[in-house]
Amino acid sequence: MCIWTNNIVKVLGSPLAFGARIASLVTVQTAPEMYLDIDPEGSAQKSESLGLLPFVVSALEGKDCKEPMRAIAESSDLSEEQLTSLISGMYTLLREALRLPISTFKQEVSTRKEFIMDFASVVFGNRRPVVEATTLKQGNRLPSVNDIKWRVDVAISTSSLARALQPSILMLLKLSDGTAHRFEVPVAKFQELRYNVALILKEMNDLEKRSILKIQD
Amino acid sequence: MAAPIIPESGSIKKAVLLINMIDTGKFPRLLSRILQKLHLKAESSFSEEEEEKLQAAFSVEKQDLHLVLETISFILEQAVYHNLKPAILQQQLESIHLDQDKAEAFVSAWTAAGQDTIEKFRQRILAPQKLETIGWQLNLQMAQSTQAKLKSPQVVLELGVSNEDSKKLEKVFVEFSHQELFEFYNKLETIQAQLDSLT
Repeated sequence: MCIWTNNIVKVLGSPLAFGARIASLVTVQTAPEMYLDIDPEGSAQKSESLGLLPFVVSALEGKDCKEPMRAIAESSDLSEEQLTSLISGMYTLLREALRLPISTFKQEVSTRKEFIMDFASVVFGNRRPVVEATTLKQGNRLPSVNDIKWRVDVAISTSSLARALQPSILMLLKLSDGTAHRFEVPVAKFQELRYNVALILKEMNDLEKRSILKIQD
Repeated sequence: MAAPIIPESGSIKKAVLLINMIDTGKFPRLLSRILQKLHLKAESSFSEEEEEKLQAAFSVEKQDLHLVLETISFILEQAVYHNLKPAILQQQLESIHLDQDKAEAFVSAWTAAGQDTIEKFRQRILAPQKLETIGWQLNLQMAQSTQAKLKSPQVVLELGVSNEDSKKLEKVFVEFSHQELFEFYNKLETIQAQLDSLT
């Protein structure tokens, strides 16, 4: 059929998140059709999509959408089954569409029916960078730094020196996996850390300038 | 004269007598060895085997050798603690009746390596956790389960933190995007500015 369906089949093997968790092979595959079948009149169909789509996008951006979804379920005249199929279908479609670079299927989508434009606005619109930033953060990665607290100490005297006057840094790194690491950094070690971070930044800049990053997908 | 920093106790008196008997030719080497290892709190200056050799070389009892070594360490530790000038050290040594040649050996060893030793003590930070090693790896992320094509540079920083209790080096891994690393660098720059303002 269209590129959407093909991609849905591809994604079925992977674990599905959030609303899509309940999606079975059947519901996901029939989602686009159901979406069309809900109301044959284009206007109602459009308003329905406008009601759901922002929350599906929010979910993709990593926000908790349980409450608005419940409100929609209560106010909508759709059955719970229809609604879950619809939401998980939309979610899977969008996630799969966002997985691919824009340039891969721009032409095909522009020829789709009108309702697809809502999806397309998410995939090609200005929300895309936000969604991409979220998926990059939520992806499989080592913890990042959430917060740094530091303190500069000067040791005035110690058991072995009457007058030490030696500065050092006490650093607290709070990481995104919830762990915190507190350690002392001697000044010489601090210089080494600062030098290395500056060096990596330079390497990153060089890498981004290199032609490999400029090749179009 | 400055206040005495080496008390003339019984054991010091005995140690001074023993040191005075040591061969003047061998004494400077003994001193510089002790001075070299003074800042290593966990390590004693000589191994068991070396101590046996020293016993033979100086023809002293094991107990006396220990007294001599501990007294030399003590005198040098006092010199470190008070950041003694060589001339003051000499006065202090003469006041406990150390022979001139031995006192001079102390002074020349202290003049040569004293400041380095003090610096080593200064670097010895008392902290349960301490940053020891820094490693990194720059990656270019090309894809992930939710993104088919990516070109996102990511760096993994590996911080080796030593633990005073377990003596083990704990490795802390942190990942940074370009933007995150830049923010981290700016924090380090702020700390550096604070350090600079101290001097």
